[in-house]
Amino acid sequence: MTRTSKLRNWIDERFPLKSTIKFIIDEDIPGQSSYFYALGSATLFVFSLQILSGVWQLFYYVPTTDHAYSSVSYLRTSVPFGWLIHGIHYWGAQAMIVLVGLHLIRVFIWGAYKHPRELVWLAGVLLLILTAVMSFTGVLLPWDEVGYFAAKVGTNIASTIPGIGTWIKNFMLGGTEIGQLTLSRFFILHIAIVPFILFTFIIIHLMAFRQFGSIGPWKKAKRAITTPFWPDQVAKDIIIAILILLILFAFSAYIRAPFSGPADPLDTSYHPKPEWNFLFLYQALKAFKGNWEPVGTILFPMLLVLFMLSVPFMDKYKETNPIKRPVVLILGIVFVGGIIFLTIEGKGKVPETGTVSPVQNKIVITENAPANIKQGHDLFISNNCVICHSINGSGGKIGPDLSHETARGMSSSKIEEQIKNPKKSNPNSVMPPFASLPTDQLEAISAYLLNVDKGSSRIAGNNNSSSQFSDAQNNTANGNSAGNKQSNINIHSTIGPAASYIGDPRHGEILYRQQCEGCHGVNGAGKVPNPGSASGFIPALSPIQGKYFSQTVNVFVNNIDTIIQHGSVPAGSAPSLKMLAFGDAGTLSQQQIAQIESYILDLNSVDRAKILNPGIKPELVVWITISLFIILSIVMLLYRNYSRKRT
Amino acid sequence: MEEKSQKITGETNSETYKRRGFLKKIIGILTAFGTLVLGIPFIGSIVTTGKERKNKKLIRIANLDQLPLNQPQKINFSDLVTDAFIEGFETRNVWVIKHSPSSVTVFSPICPHLGCSYDWQPQENSFVCPCHSSVFNLDGKVTEGPSPRSLDSLPQKIVDNILFIEWERFEVGATEKKAI
Repeated sequence: MTRTSKLRNWIDERFPLKSTIKFIIDEDIPGQSSYFYALGSATLFVFSLQILSGVWQLFYYVPTTDHAYSSVSYLRTSVPFGWLIHGIHYWGAQAMIVLVGLHLIRVFIWGAYKHPRELVWLAGVLLLILTAVMSFTGVLLPWDEVGYFAAKVGTNIASTIPGIGTWIKNFMLGGTEIGQLTLSRFFILHIAIVPFILFTFIIIHLMAFRQFGSIGPWKKAKRAITTPFWPDQVAKDIIIAILILLILFAFSAYIRAPFSGPADPLDTSYHPKPEWNFLFLYQALKAFKGNWEPVGTILFPMLLVLFMLSVPFMDKYKETNPIKRPVVLILGIVFVGGIIFLTIEGKGKVPETGTVSPVQNKIVITENAPANIKQGHDLFISNNCVICHSINGSGGKIGPDLSHETARGMSSSKIEEQIKNPKKSNPNSVMPPFASLPTDQLEAISAYLLNVDKGSSRIAGNNNSSSQFSDAQNNTANGNSAGNKQSNINIHSTIGPAASYIGDPRHGEILYRQQCEGCHGVNGAGKVPNPGSASGFIPALSPIQGKYFSQTVNVFVNNIDTIIQHGSVPAGSAPSLKMLAFGDAGTLSQQQIAQIESYILDLNSVDRAKILNPGIKPELVVWITISLFIILSIVMLLYRNYSRKRT
Repeated sequence: MEEKSQKITGETNSETYKRRGFLKKIIGILTAFGTLVLGIPFIGSIVTTGKERKNKKLIRIANLDQLPLNQPQKINFSDLVTDAFIEGFETRNVWVIKHSPSSVTVFSPICPHLGCSYDWQPQENSFVCPCHSSVFNLDGKVTEGPSPRSLDSLPQKIVDNILFIEWERFEVGATEKKAI
């Protein structure tokens, strides 16, 4: 007796070890082992990976609204192999949904839900729903834009349930608004309650499956040939599992999960977009408006689930050959095809975050306008008024919209006074005085502005941004004093919270177009004049001045953050334009500043989300792993040929 | 199972046996492979952290004109500390002794014996640690008690009469002063 079998016997006297192992691995698979049958075990494998990578993330993640985003960012950029652990969890979540779906389709085609396997099927459908719940609760945890708005939309959907909807929504949120309690609830659901239920149903699913085993091929002759589960099927399962692992490694290294920036509840420039796996519901929702809304939000998903649950009870005939059960097969095809169709349809209709049309500083004046109005228009452009003020939606958002001066009760004398001495009407105004403009030019500008309402101006180009900063002068009250704050003594005391957030350059670009483009030029190219400043121009941001640039991400961000937070006054005798204190004045939220900073870094070819401490370089990890796998495969094949020849 | 098990056609018993032996080897090798490629990064992520180099920075402590001569002063300051992903201000203190208008000694407030906070006792003209009664003189030398080394001085710099220091921690209980 060997030592291991002695140990096995010792345990077996005290625990049903042999029978447990026998129960797990002793099964004859009708119609031989097959890669088709590996879908279920592949799902189980990815689920195990989700548990492993999920638990591992908890070494770093904290479920609080103030630190969740930074903790995930820290894991992903500063922890060795954090990129891989997060990547496996992120891509594993997508893989779970795909694999569960494929597994379900496979079982459906083979008719493996039929008597006596109904319970296996029912537990399976429940596992599919629980997977969707995991997907929904997990997305919120990084507390980023994607997760925040997904949770917002998801809970609003729950609130459409007639009668108890609002109560359910408030229960999910832990209040009436998404906040810390929502995050805590989603967190505990995602890491404890739902996984526990999932695990229980996996056990039920597997035990019920083992009771009757695989249903096998529909041809009786084929079914008669069997191979054992161990080791024939297990070998196929593990080969598939390792291939999935390699794919997850490659995805984690080459297609990193996006950083969408920290959640910003007040940000209107973000367009929520459902995760791909919920797109079909999103699209189906659109068909039902008004009073019919609950049909799309509640009834439709419920019918889908009911259909799936009722499959084994509708289709009771023993026949498993799909050709011989056309009605069920067609229903299934319609079901799956419908979901795929709605997903593709929904994908096309989603507002893309990156394609909001830019604010174009083009105000066109009609050809037949009087000469003085034309002159006023030209002066409005050449004096850079348009950088801060917009006309009919085109132009800057820093100062008030000037499209309706007549309606506001302005007169030419009031406008001229405002241009010459802005502080007279509002002592906090950050508008530079244009005292040196000759009277005839002032008159032309006021004539132009008073005529905007009368239709002499129209918008050139498409523009859909609304004026959010109608009273920007109050917002930027601190602009003056903050401009001088910037000094080099202790840079740490002057950087804002934005500097520590990783933003999304594409989102930053949208905000840049709304807030910064007017002065810093299209794509940061600069070339906007600033009379009275030493250089005569507003600095370009692409490429940015050398004193701000650094290859070290944190240094670069800190350098520009102080300027965006507190503003700055350009060198020169009397610069007519200065950088406003966007942070101090609250014109931009810290989250928005983080997005813009990521965009500015991106313009200068520095990745804000750069992995600072990868452990081993991501690409290298993938290639080492794949090479090792290939070498092992070759060695095993050679060994097999060698041992064959010997016999 | 209604159908009886059958051998796979065209394979003899011994071939089947050998093939299954090979399959078991594949299972073993691939399991080991999976464990290795997951094990290294997952273990790596928790054993190799905490090695970040903190960039040293000068912290403003006091204006020297306001300090008395040869009288140890405990000075509080707040320092921006980055702890993993959390940034925040932490209040710390140091002992500062001004010897002349241009020369000072700065002591870490942590007793080199076992890390307690010691205090200045003017009547004894010594620093006394309340935990194990280590006593140090004005120069930081041990005069009594179990402390294995003198008080730890901190790097300092005086610019325009303003005292700046670099905050550091040292291993306690060791005879040599060693930064952590």
